[in-house]
Amino acid sequence: MSQQSDPKPTPDTSGDGWRVLSYLIGGVLVYGGIGFGLDRWLGTQFLLPVGIVLGAGLTILMLHFRYGRS
Amino acid sequence: MIAGVSTEFNPPGPEDFQLPPIFSGVEWFTKPVLVAALSVIVIIWFFWGASRKAEVVPSKLQFAGELGYNFVRNSIARDAIGSQEHMKYVPFLLGLFFFILLNNVAASIPFIQFPTFSHIGWAYAAAALSWIIYNAVGIKKKGLLGYFKHQTMPAGVPGWLMPLMIPIEFISNILVRPVSLSLRLFANMFAGHILLLVFVLGGEYMLLHSGSIALGGVGILTLLMGLAIAGLELFVQCIQAYIFVVLTAQYIGSAIADEH
Repeated sequence: MSQQSDPKPTPDTSGDGWRVLSYLIGGVLVYGGIGFGLDRWLGTQFLLPVGIVLGAGLTILMLHFRYGRS
Repeated sequence: MIAGVSTEFNPPGPEDFQLPPIFSGVEWFTKPVLVAALSVIVIIWFFWGASRKAEVVPSKLQFAGELGYNFVRNSIARDAIGSQEHMKYVPFLLGLFFFILLNNVAASIPFIQFPTFSHIGWAYAAAALSWIIYNAVGIKKKGLLGYFKHQTMPAGVPGWLMPLMIPIEFISNILVRPVSLSLRLFANMFAGHILLLVFVLGGEYMLLHSGSIALGGVGILTLLMGLAIAGLELFVQCIQAYIFVVLTAQYIGSAIADEH
């Protein structure tokens, strides 16, 4: 209770890998899900894989903006 | 032990986790419930005993208690949440860490030997608790709309990409986080326990019931390997308790952070 004042210069990064993983799952889930829904709606076959790849790509782009430029 | 007479080997499976109630008729009182209750008693006894007679020159118990407390406060809470606000969350994180740790390590304690979190409901409940808390403190700090904006707008992304990124950020922060938190803990405990069952039951079967000397030798090796796996599992059990609490602390930290 007494040592509240010592500042921590570097933020903790030990859980970053797990958070990146949850972003990757989230991206694939969202855009893969949209592709799956469009496939069901339009009766096509190719939009689910397109959505999965698009989601993974967008997530990597976001991780670049978020973590890549420190 | 004549070849050909031996009974067939039944590999362990998920049904080995469905234990009968301890008292017949009391359906809810199963082994994981007992282990969890015991762990709570042990934790209360430990920290009560460690802090009851606090002295400048600590007793062994007080020293151990302060070691655990300092570890959670400094290495988990303060690093992840920041020195300004972390003290509020230390009691929760400390309790969560030791609850998960003891219930995981219970899998390696003789005669208990059951990881509570290998039943997925326990893992869901633990993850739901952290989910509710990190969302609640975020909403309390920023208001409902402000928090929602905070958790859906990723920092550092150029404006034209934002519409594409918002659903990813939202799903990742609100949905994937609690699911991955619970599944990671559950799957590690479940897989570790079943791995031990495979090595020990398989080794025992080859050693005693296969009726072949060569397989008996392999059985001895398998049992030795099972011993090594048990050591590895002890490590995994501690790591899983640690990573669960570190991530909970980081989610709290990012929910109340001013910006990413």
